[in-house]
Amino acid sequence: MQNAKDSFYLALRSRLAVINPQRTVLVRGALRPGILLEDAEAPVAQPPADVFVMHWGALGAETELPSAMVAMECEISYCTSGTQAFGGLDRGRSLTAMDRELIAILRPPSTPKVNYSVQPAAPMQTQVFWDEPTFPSITVQRDRVSRSARVMVYSYQEQGE
Amino acid sequence: MMTANSFSAPAPVARRIRAYFAPVDRATQSRVSFDPAKIDSFSLDAPPTPWIDLGWIQNFTRKSASKSGPIMTGIPASPLEQTRGTLEAQLAFEFLSWTKLTMALATGSQHMNLLATAVDGANAIPAVAVQSGSTVSAIQLTTDAAAGFTPGSMIAVDADYAGQTGYIGSPISGAYLRQPLADPDYIRRITFNVGLVLGVSSGCLILAQPLPGGPPASGAKVQAITAFVDREGGSFYQEWSALFVVAGSQGDRIFFHYPRLQSMAGAEESAMPLDAKHKTGLARILLKGQFLALPVTDPMDGERVLCYRSFMPAAYSLV
Repeated sequence: MQNAKDSFYLALRSRLAVINPQRTVLVRGALRPGILLEDAEAPVAQPPADVFVMHWGALGAETELPSAMVAMECEISYCTSGTQAFGGLDRGRSLTAMDRELIAILRPPSTPKVNYSVQPAAPMQTQVFWDEPTFPSITVQRDRVSRSARVMVYSYQEQGE
Repeated sequence: MMTANSFSAPAPVARRIRAYFAPVDRATQSRVSFDPAKIDSFSLDAPPTPWIDLGWIQNFTRKSASKSGPIMTGIPASPLEQTRGTLEAQLAFEFLSWTKLTMALATGSQHMNLLATAVDGANAIPAVAVQSGSTVSAIQLTTDAAAGFTPGSMIAVDADYAGQTGYIGSPISGAYLRQPLADPDYIRRITFNVGLVLGVSSGCLILAQPLPGGPPASGAKVQAITAFVDREGGSFYQEWSALFVVAGSQGDRIFFHYPRLQSMAGAEESAMPLDAKHKTGLARILLKGQFLALPVTDPMDGERVLCYRSFMPAAYSLV
């Protein structure tokens, strides 16, 4: 499961870097593509704006198959207050831009599974794949608009996992 | 004195059923029998030869279509006895995997291997001869011949076609020919002796699984394949012996043994959503199999039967 989670995150991160290189985040002094994994970062009181934050939720397993299949729900949250140049009045447009970017980085809906816990990273035999995301209504909190998209991520357990 | 407690067991509880198939030699009409005395020792994960594990199946339904009728006597007529007028049983289920064998079983006709073609795309890459010392899971070739294969290659292993007619392929029949063909690769096109190469070492192809048809016979050749094909129509029907196992939650087991099972419907698939709450999302494409049970003569008493059902109760459950 960890290999699938790592592969999904790194696929989205590298796709985001191509689609919008300007969307970045400064993490522990390093400038990285603007997508974070919540459980791999220090806890924060409020998620950073204009950055995608991934959170792993429900887990399901289908073991009565030739290869056990694992389904994990990934919640990808993002929020924005717009830009200072427009006094935040463009926050709706900024959120739409992030909606569009998220849809784009989720295509194609699969990526090779890679074991990133070894050096160098080792390609595995199967693909991690996911369903269409669902986009619930936006949430407004003062000057911030936010959304939490959900996507089901699937993978097959391989030998040794 | 030794004593123990018993319990009254409800009906067996299971989610899915395991399927095992074994080839019927069509030429000799020899089927694979299952001895119910082995119901306890039958390993679900490593079934004894020649049973092939086809994994889990779902939506398993079996239906008896046998008909009985009364012998009427007296005035007014009333039933004196019953006689069995017809003997028929059908079953249907869905395979949860796509392999050479499940695809073949789920089609009503013959199933073919797509031979890899040369760069021109028109002709199959020629077969290479199997050398002595080959086994069910290691195919010995000359070093030059083995260089044509890499890990990940799929292969078919069988003899050249030499003009024979009737059931083709042994011990697993894959086709029926009424007239000779001129294709030397024909048997490798329909053979079930296929495998996945995991390694190539010193002229030896190391396979991921043993060949279903056993070790290569003398004169067998290896040919690369790339995919599988079946078609609607044709005169050939797959026939296999089958065993279906329900492994209950309390260690109880139910075995359904069909000595002769022929596929009876054309290829059909069904889609099962991966997420039951998201029916328009990703779906697993399942192979649907429908089968007709054919009778055999029980050697115990000479009765004609279609299938056997065996049940092993859970330990200490009341019988």
